[in-house]
Amino acid sequence: MEMDKLGVITTFIHNIVVYNIPLLYGTVGEIVVEKSGSLNLGVEGIMAVGAIFGYIVGCYTNSMLVGILTAFAMGALMGLLFAALTVSLQANQNITGLTLTTFGLGMYFFVGNAIKAVRWPIMSDYSSIKNGFADIAIPGLSQIPVVGKGLFSHNILVYLGIVIALCMWYYLNRTTPGLRLRAVGENPGSADSVGINVKRTKYLHICLGCGIMGIGGYYMGLNMSGSFSSACWINGYGWIAVALVIFANWNPIMAILGTFVFGFFNTLRVSGSSLAVAFPETLGWLAAVPTQLYQALPFIITAIVLVVTSVRKREGSGLPAALGLNYFREER
Amino acid sequence: MPEQYAIEMRGITKTFGSVVANNNINLNLRQGEILSLLGENGSGKTTLMNMLSGIYAPDAGQILVDGKPVTISSPEDSKKLGIGMVHQHFKLVDVFSAADNIWMGREKSGFALKGDRYDEIEAMAKKFGFDLDPRKKVRNMSVSEKQTLEIIKVLYYGAKVIILDEPTAVLTVQEIDKLFAVLRRMKEEGHSIIIITHKLNEVMDISDRVAILRKGEYITTVNTAETNEQELTEWMVGRKIDLNIDRPVVEKTRPLLEIRDLTIKNDEGAVAIDKVNFYIRGGEILGVAGIAGCGQKELCEAIAGLRPIQSGLMIHKGDNIVGLPPKAILEKGISMSFIPEDRLGMGLAPSLSITDNMILKNYAAPKGPFVDRKSGREDAQRVIEELEVVTPSTETPVRRLSGGNVQKVLLGREIKAGPNVIVTAYPVRGLDINSSYAIYDILNQQKQDGVGILFVGEDLDVMLALCDKIMVLCHGRVMGVVHAHKTTKEELGLMMTGALDLTDKYEDKPAGIARDTNITEEQLKSAQEEGEN
Amino acid sequence: MGFHIVKRDSCPLWKKALLYVIAVLAALVLGGVLLLAMGVDPLAYYSRMFTMGMVGNKIAYKAFENYLKVFVPLALTSVALSLAFKMRFWNIGGEGQFIMGSIAAATVALKLGPVLPSAITLILMCLAAMLAAGIYGAFVAVLKVKFGTNETLMTLMLNYVALYVLMFLGDRKADWNFFLQEQSARPVFQSFADLASFPKIMFGKFGLNICVILTFLVGTLVFVYLKYTKHGYEISVVGDSAGTAHYAGMKVNAIVLRTVFLSACLIGLAAAFKVGTAGVLSTAITDDVGWTGIIVAWLSQLNTAVIFVVSALISMLHYGSVAAAATFSKVDSSFANMLQGVILFLVFTAEFFIRFRVVRNKKGGKQ
Repeated sequence: MEMDKLGVITTFIHNIVVYNIPLLYGTVGEIVVEKSGSLNLGVEGIMAVGAIFGYIVGCYTNSMLVGILTAFAMGALMGLLFAALTVSLQANQNITGLTLTTFGLGMYFFVGNAIKAVRWPIMSDYSSIKNGFADIAIPGLSQIPVVGKGLFSHNILVYLGIVIALCMWYYLNRTTPGLRLRAVGENPGSADSVGINVKRTKYLHICLGCGIMGIGGYYMGLNMSGSFSSACWINGYGWIAVALVIFANWNPIMAILGTFVFGFFNTLRVSGSSLAVAFPETLGWLAAVPTQLYQALPFIITAIVLVVTSVRKREGSGLPAALGLNYFREER
Repeated sequence: MPEQYAIEMRGITKTFGSVVANNNINLNLRQGEILSLLGENGSGKTTLMNMLSGIYAPDAGQILVDGKPVTISSPEDSKKLGIGMVHQHFKLVDVFSAADNIWMGREKSGFALKGDRYDEIEAMAKKFGFDLDPRKKVRNMSVSEKQTLEIIKVLYYGAKVIILDEPTAVLTVQEIDKLFAVLRRMKEEGHSIIIITHKLNEVMDISDRVAILRKGEYITTVNTAETNEQELTEWMVGRKIDLNIDRPVVEKTRPLLEIRDLTIKNDEGAVAIDKVNFYIRGGEILGVAGIAGCGQKELCEAIAGLRPIQSGLMIHKGDNIVGLPPKAILEKGISMSFIPEDRLGMGLAPSLSITDNMILKNYAAPKGPFVDRKSGREDAQRVIEELEVVTPSTETPVRRLSGGNVQKVLLGREIKAGPNVIVTAYPVRGLDINSSYAIYDILNQQKQDGVGILFVGEDLDVMLALCDKIMVLCHGRVMGVVHAHKTTKEELGLMMTGALDLTDKYEDKPAGIARDTNITEEQLKSAQEEGEN
Repeated sequence: MGFHIVKRDSCPLWKKALLYVIAVLAALVLGGVLLLAMGVDPLAYYSRMFTMGMVGNKIAYKAFENYLKVFVPLALTSVALSLAFKMRFWNIGGEGQFIMGSIAAATVALKLGPVLPSAITLILMCLAAMLAAGIYGAFVAVLKVKFGTNETLMTLMLNYVALYVLMFLGDRKADWNFFLQEQSARPVFQSFADLASFPKIMFGKFGLNICVILTFLVGTLVFVYLKYTKHGYEISVVGDSAGTAHYAGMKVNAIVLRTVFLSACLIGLAAAFKVGTAGVLSTAITDDVGWTGIIVAWLSQLNTAVIFVVSALISMLHYGSVAAAATFSKVDSSFANMLQGVILFLVFTAEFFIRFRVVRNKKGGKQ
């Protein structure tokens, strides 16, 4: 009985990670994009496009790597579209991002339904994908009781997501290109005046960030075992990612933490009842909490964070000063 | 063989919409010299330099660096050619440290950011004779620290040609000495330097040659050793031209607007207007002369209630207007119009039609929920006819009009409201002769109707002919108020550059304080108390 | 050799119109290429789509009624959003405001419907929806004015808060939850179609819902409001230059609050129309009009009259693609979303050429 209860906790922790790392991809990608001064509201659509193409191509080539690369490339292509419109053509970022979401979701269903009409690839038919997505236990760490299996035995994309987040933190804060990127997001005029190529920097990082989002989408598709239905695989995660960027204060490491916080609520929604059953005395009340509260919490928390940071003004805030503003050098 | 210049600009022309900022300008910079670029506000100095730094692309003309023709289409190009510019408005990232602001533009700075960059930059700053805390964030820096950082930045990038746009404006005397020492050393090391400044003593002190621009045109370049302040002033402001502007004599009223001990800060937090006293009577035009950014803009904004003041009194017909909202000041009959350099910034909504801009200040007057566009259209029609505004119709957006017509619309609206005090800054900026005269006539008409006018101007000839009295500002301080028919252009020029102070000219009367003042003891006392707090 | 871009002072109207038409046609051509690649005749598909399957349909009037049901909320929401956008206030919260309005309207219908005459219930539904949505929107405006909180992100967050409130109401069986059917064991939204439903004016078999007329009426009022009233004037000045508005003595903050409130109120009204026509809540009650409305308002350059035309076309796109999917089973109805995206991207491209000129950089060597 005791073992079962601990098992519930382990599963709970495991689920926090498994189901929410896609959020981390979306968030880290969006941080990279926003650090260049571009507010991209198209995360949902970009992840959807990465997901559908990554999944289909990955399955047909029976290669997880090809799937990841395809998802990245499709995400980056969407980023390229966003960059062309907002950086070169000076279009409004909000509207372009929203349209990218509509467009991306449209493409997701269009391509998905078209493939489904011919032959839908079923994930379990493709050994490399199925095996590639299996959990890999980290020797040693995964032996720790209760949390070991929960935290240190996961599929490759979980590890990749964490690695990307750490790399991006290092890149943004500890490298010269990262410094230049932040300069562009803070004050493109001064970046320009010291010879930083503002356009190139923006293009590059919008594409990079959107590519990362694309991988997150691919992960979501695999997580749903590739079963294609009327609901999109991304299911609002793109929007939570936009919120999480604010919660994480534009810091990829904080994004890992934020993913766990948001993921905690998200997992309570799914497995709160099993916790309530396992610990009826202490956690029995969980069964009474409406699931929608868990779903709304990320947005409520982020709204509070938004208000608090605006009251406290900019001290310590990671919000890029030029976020959402297009740069035109000859503006007087 | 012709001399090989460090920089040679030939026939440079740059226009913004319909405004010609630079017209066929020729400028050359010798190897290893310090060249002063001298000119009044709006003479096109900064625009010209921005074409060297790659911010603007010229419409026509040619740039040669070390005798070779080049294309500078970005700041990156400029940097590669060894040109560095210290901009007047700081180009710094507020949330970065001093070192990172420099590091971000360094070539081959490696992939990883290392802690030793702080040491390297500190050491380098020391080498040039600057004290710099490399870890200090820009947003915690004072104005002069930021300026210093900008200078260090350019030096660090190893520019051979260094352009400084008014570098001394925010520095203390000691810092200026230090800067000049650095500039001289740079020169000895073979750097070529262009410095934009308005202070003639500095021009004489630091430069080898002086190039002068006036109203977007190139005037001349002279050796500093062969000229003097008087001559330079003359070139800068131009020879006295008889303009034939009327100056009707009008019975003057008691002071309408009185300013006492007014102190105002600018957007950067530096003092822009420093304990200024003056007054305007009905039926007179008081000119305000001064070189670029001597606090004219801040003064106008403060009177209109758009900018908070630090201390002092602004008394209109006996009532203190300090702290009143813009609307209340409007209702008292004080009109302010300011034509900024881009001519569209203040007082007009550029995307709206002439009619809509006409009703801007009194749209709320008619009863009921609707805007009275009919009378707005009639007003617009009248202004178009009387001031000869060239426009397809009254419904044309203001941004489509040419500069002169925009100004006519703005001034026409201000006068239509029937104010008793008109504050107008640069109302003829960029206008052709005929339009300018039309505007002078309007102002004179207002003066004859008993309105008090504060005329902030650029052209001394015009001010000498049009104004009754002229107040000269130099870096936020009043250098004196003189009668326009008794003074000369040279005298004004010297006052503008701070070489001549006439505030104590009349021993029996403190400058800028009317004998028949409306200000009560009580008001003075309360202002004093506030100042002490 | 390179290019740089220069702002244009103006662009003649015919050129603008031409560029927009080219953009939309190019989008249709791109869509057509995709259709061809799928082995579908683009002309046949488009004609099916733009006639919304009404040609040769015995109950075409029914299709048109349904089309109008799509059109009304979209048009009204777009009009409402244009108010805020005109002031450069980025109200991305149409979805959330719409939902709040829907809940308020449904509350009135369920609680007061049984005791009050239908006409009064309908009026109260509209008022309650407007108030609820208005407050939900104005809340963000207060934060923006007081603390400078980013309104884009804030309204975005509140969209989801509202959505989950609605989903909660649709999911939780409880004594207090009057939104659900009592008889049903599963949570199902209680219908109130027989208590309060907007009346139709019959033209033969075709019933013109009064909401359509009201929408055009509100549209006209907003047009007049923006164009002829002091408030409308203030909105355009604040949107064009907040500095100038301040200079003219306008109370900029109050204007922002008032306008955002009004904008959200009208979204609430759109919600009341939708709820009062559908007769039942649903978690998909918004039909994404909060999102699509943003795109419509922007495509129409915030011009009220154009908004009606554009929302008619976009509704046609959406409704028509569903109708066409019945004939062309290969082409999913999501084709409309893609096409809508492509249209907007190309319109943005057209807009670039309206606002800017591309100038070839002069070679340094030549004069």
